[in-house]
Amino acid sequence: MAEQRGTVGGPVLTEWFAKADLHTLDVYESLGGYSALRKVVTTMTAQQVIDEVKISGLRGRGGADFPTAMKWSFVPKDHPGPKYIVVNADESEPGSAKDRYLMENSPHALIEGAAIASFAIGGHQAWIYIRGEYDLPYEMLRDAIAEAHAKGYLGDHPFGSDHALDVRLYRGHGAYICGEETALLESLEGKRAQPRSRPPFPAVKGAWGLPTAVNNVETLSTVPWIIRHGGAEYASRGTEKAKGTRMVTVSGDVQKPGNYEIEIGVTYRDIIEGLAGGMLSGRDLKVFWPGGSSAKVLPASMIDTSTDLDGLKALGTMGGSGGIIVMDDSHCVVKAAARLLRFYAHESCGKCTPCRVGGNWAVRTYDRILANEGSQLELGILERVSDGLQNGRCLCGLGDAAGWVIESTMRHFHDEYEDHCLRHTCNVGKALAHA
Amino acid sequence: MKTTSVLSAHLIDEIKALPARYPQPRSAVMPALDLAQEELGYLTPEAMTEVATALQLDAGYVEGVATFYTLFHLEPIGKHRFYMCTNLSCTLRGAEELVEHLRGAIGVHEAGEVSKDGLFSYEEVECMGACEYAPMCRVDHRYHYDLTAEKVDGLVAERRSPAAAAPLSSSPLSPTLPPERGEGDKPKRAPKKKKADG
Repeated sequence: MAEQRGTVGGPVLTEWFAKADLHTLDVYESLGGYSALRKVVTTMTAQQVIDEVKISGLRGRGGADFPTAMKWSFVPKDHPGPKYIVVNADESEPGSAKDRYLMENSPHALIEGAAIASFAIGGHQAWIYIRGEYDLPYEMLRDAIAEAHAKGYLGDHPFGSDHALDVRLYRGHGAYICGEETALLESLEGKRAQPRSRPPFPAVKGAWGLPTAVNNVETLSTVPWIIRHGGAEYASRGTEKAKGTRMVTVSGDVQKPGNYEIEIGVTYRDIIEGLAGGMLSGRDLKVFWPGGSSAKVLPASMIDTSTDLDGLKALGTMGGSGGIIVMDDSHCVVKAAARLLRFYAHESCGKCTPCRVGGNWAVRTYDRILANEGSQLELGILERVSDGLQNGRCLCGLGDAAGWVIESTMRHFHDEYEDHCLRHTCNVGKALAHA
Repeated sequence: MKTTSVLSAHLIDEIKALPARYPQPRSAVMPALDLAQEELGYLTPEAMTEVATALQLDAGYVEGVATFYTLFHLEPIGKHRFYMCTNLSCTLRGAEELVEHLRGAIGVHEAGEVSKDGLFSYEEVECMGACEYAPMCRVDHRYHYDLTAEKVDGLVAERRSPAAAAPLSSSPLSPTLPPERGEGDKPKRAPKKKKADG
């Protein structure tokens, strides 16, 4: 049996995680679960729900950081037919495991949040698109939805109201690109997951051509707390503009990898040295990815950077999905970048040429470099490919992310690239040999 | 006129019932391919054609979907398929050495190759979202964490000998009852959660 690795009893998302059997409706409800949904459907209007979430300042936790209330308000109120909430539970950003942690501990929080969101946009059905590898979270959600139906918290008359609510599940089948919301919608419709051209945006034309808001697991799991405690209480945490708490997943060369709930604004030192217990013994921090593999790397010297989302953007990187990958000085940055480029090349959906071709160019170039066949030419190719992948040349951000890995590792660790390309050595390997 | 079909009649009926579950029928294509793959082990061209016919879709379209997603297999796979994560967080913790060890343990030379006894195959996969337990893998619909060479040996051994595999049958989801099945025939959950780590 796997033990929880991460925060239990944190301020918001993990508040109840120390409680045994929180995944059951009885326990969840005994702690106050579903009181938010009850309040929403029996005493509030859709606009009041949106206003409360607006006050909280909650921003999307899937990586795009978009204000949740604003996203909901884009869904046309007067649309006559069905409207959907689609939950992005296709967590597959390398280094990010927090949505799995939330669903395995508290599936009802997601269901309650998805139901509240459906109410807020004037819809009746939420679809949770969950990645195919997440067998256990899928089963837990399936059972939790059945429990909520049996209790009458979902169904035609939740808590006696006349606003029907339902939450359904759809399984993904292994494609990183489905984390991108329009690709996810294509997949939900039974198609190859290739991002759509926008406009129209999902709020107008989303799932099955109908108005849709796509929200991340963590975002929606936060919503019941905001309704219970008020938006202002949530907004009292965090920084001036980036409010509240969020989950981060710390992985790699640390003592205590885990999913931690942090107040936005703490530093990466607080997380890596504090929560995650510091580096494995005898080693030093070399580099970290502050928000999933797609976030531009920061070198060890920047460990005092704040997790403030706007501050990270100003640095040219991002808080992203919260996946903090920590690498120590026993690992080679060029090899790590090559591994990630293999990932991005493999996961490119093939729709846009710069991403489809550029990723593979980069992989072939890294292969030559790691086979000691590199030269000044390879450094030039990587720079050009990195540039060609970036700056909005594609329909989604996958290509940009691949370019950011190349660009940021080359910027901060050019000496390692030069060692490989010009001198055909890896000084990291040498350092290890002495150890 | 078709005389034999590769998919069983009751499965075809099940597939025909899928489209009604979704706002538009096309969404049934992946759940339908799941059912076919579950019955046959992998998706043959004939199976994909039969799925297409049952859903009134073009066979080429169905194959296009099947080839896009990594969890659909177009070649035979071992009875137990190891999905080994080798993305960065797991590689930092030794995933590549574990893959090499697994190859020796199940007696194959490369990803996708099926062991002679038909029991095993493996593939290297991208991040599966359990980075705090790196290195990790997925096999028989369950995650296995903090892998070591010894743990890999144990996972292989308990699948080789039915006696040693006994603990598996108490798992909330036995491999013969994958979660892809419809909501109606869900397996009973064991009272305890998180059996992920065998």
